[in-house]
Amino acid sequence: MTGWTIQTLARAIAARKISPVEATQACLDRIARLDGRVHAFITVDADGALAAARALEAELAAGRSRGSLHGVPLAYKDLCHVPGLPTSCGTKTREYFTSPVECTAVARLREAGAVTLGKLNMTELAMGPFGDNAHHGDVHNPWKTGHCAGGSSSGSAAAVAAGFALATLGSDTGGSIRLPAACCGVAGLKPTYGRVSRAGAMPLSWSMDHLGPLTRTVADAALILEIVAGHDPRDATSSRRGVPYYLRMLESPIAGLRVGVPENHYFDGIDTEMAATVRAAAEILAGLGALVAPVRVPDPRTLIDVGNVISRSEAAALHARLARERPHELQPAVRARLEIGFHISAHDYLQALRLRSRLAREFITEVFADVDALVAPVIPEPAPALEAVKSGSVDEFVARMGRFSRLTRPFNTLGLPALTVPCGFSSDGRPLALQIVGRAFDEATTLRLGHAYQQATAWHLEGPRL
Amino acid sequence: MNAPESRVSADVAGLAAAVERVAADLAIAEEPAGFVLALEGESPTETA
Repeated sequence: MTGWTIQTLARAIAARKISPVEATQACLDRIARLDGRVHAFITVDADGALAAARALEAELAAGRSRGSLHGVPLAYKDLCHVPGLPTSCGTKTREYFTSPVECTAVARLREAGAVTLGKLNMTELAMGPFGDNAHHGDVHNPWKTGHCAGGSSSGSAAAVAAGFALATLGSDTGGSIRLPAACCGVAGLKPTYGRVSRAGAMPLSWSMDHLGPLTRTVADAALILEIVAGHDPRDATSSRRGVPYYLRMLESPIAGLRVGVPENHYFDGIDTEMAATVRAAAEILAGLGALVAPVRVPDPRTLIDVGNVISRSEAAALHARLARERPHELQPAVRARLEIGFHISAHDYLQALRLRSRLAREFITEVFADVDALVAPVIPEPAPALEAVKSGSVDEFVARMGRFSRLTRPFNTLGLPALTVPCGFSSDGRPLALQIVGRAFDEATTLRLGHAYQQATAWHLEGPRL
Repeated sequence: MNAPESRVSADVAGLAAAVERVAADLAIAEEPAGFVLALEGESPTETA
């Protein structure tokens, strides 16, 4: 059952073929048996999960259902505040982040019937694309232990790939949902900025942070998004737009949708297997009737620089106390990246914020006049070996981080929705993936394209042998 | 902080230069809030 999709499990629970307690126990058993090799979890709340599952089972017995997640076991990145559980944010401090309110996205999932298994490992302070963590253990890629799971939502991706949870939540400030999803061969959606409330989640950069789902299939990502999206008075940046019925829209044909494949920048210096596989995926979309064509896009380096000025400045402001009072607790690369933010001038920060407005407007006007979505690689190479990415000096490590996340960061600056979809494997068995980028608040189209691709292929049906 | 001062200075100078290069012709009316307007599909005032 731990390899099922949410929809399959939810149907089985609704039909009383499997109980919430059985489903939860199966996940807990698998975590107990295999997470020693993966390190996906920081906190496993077995007692809490089973108590919640028993309560949900009683509700079902009484003829009540909370909805599409009734009895479905989920887990959350350890920067989401879940009452009763500590939130380390990947730091050495067990309860680094506290919030007066439950993470809104978690609360909405819980109200829809989800069982909370626990809190997931992550890169310290969500600052890094590889999933290494000196305090809680490096997260290992379930497809190839010893290789990175991607980050910063490393545990969120690894837990789904390993069958520990049916879905997870992650956060994405520079690629932290899409990168680990790509490394671990699962779906991961960074929604539009403002689509999902960040209330109750540790901020890294209030201008660039996004919360979103990691799931086995694109359809499950649509299901989770439908529940967590929508205005939240606790997050002033959350949009008041209505939430579409993403699941119902999945089956609309993609014939006629215009899909652009960037002819500049996004394939430069990319691993040959990765590039060929992403281009092949675009051809599959073309075979389904999408109008696939090359497109020129604005230079992503400007978007990355502007985004870095904003995110570094905000991260230093938010985490100044830890960086100033207990710098020895931080991993050297995290400390180095935080330090930059203390030295960026107010002038440059404000210019970057003003530039972001213009860059977003220009990108939306120029690129989305001709296409409905973009298809590009997510990571420049399949998940690298952990020891290789951590080797060398701090400078080399930090530079490696920038190179590995260069394909995702532009879309955080732009705030556009971007979906990671697995699309194959390297010759040595590491997942390959594409990202589908859509118009602002048009998650529906990115999900439709991703779902159509998965209906035509079988990569998402494969699972790692742990 | 232990980060070498020279490296931090170089990184900060690099980011500042990158911003300066593209900010030269920013309209006076351009505000950070224009970002949300761009996402929501509204056009900000284009007055320089």
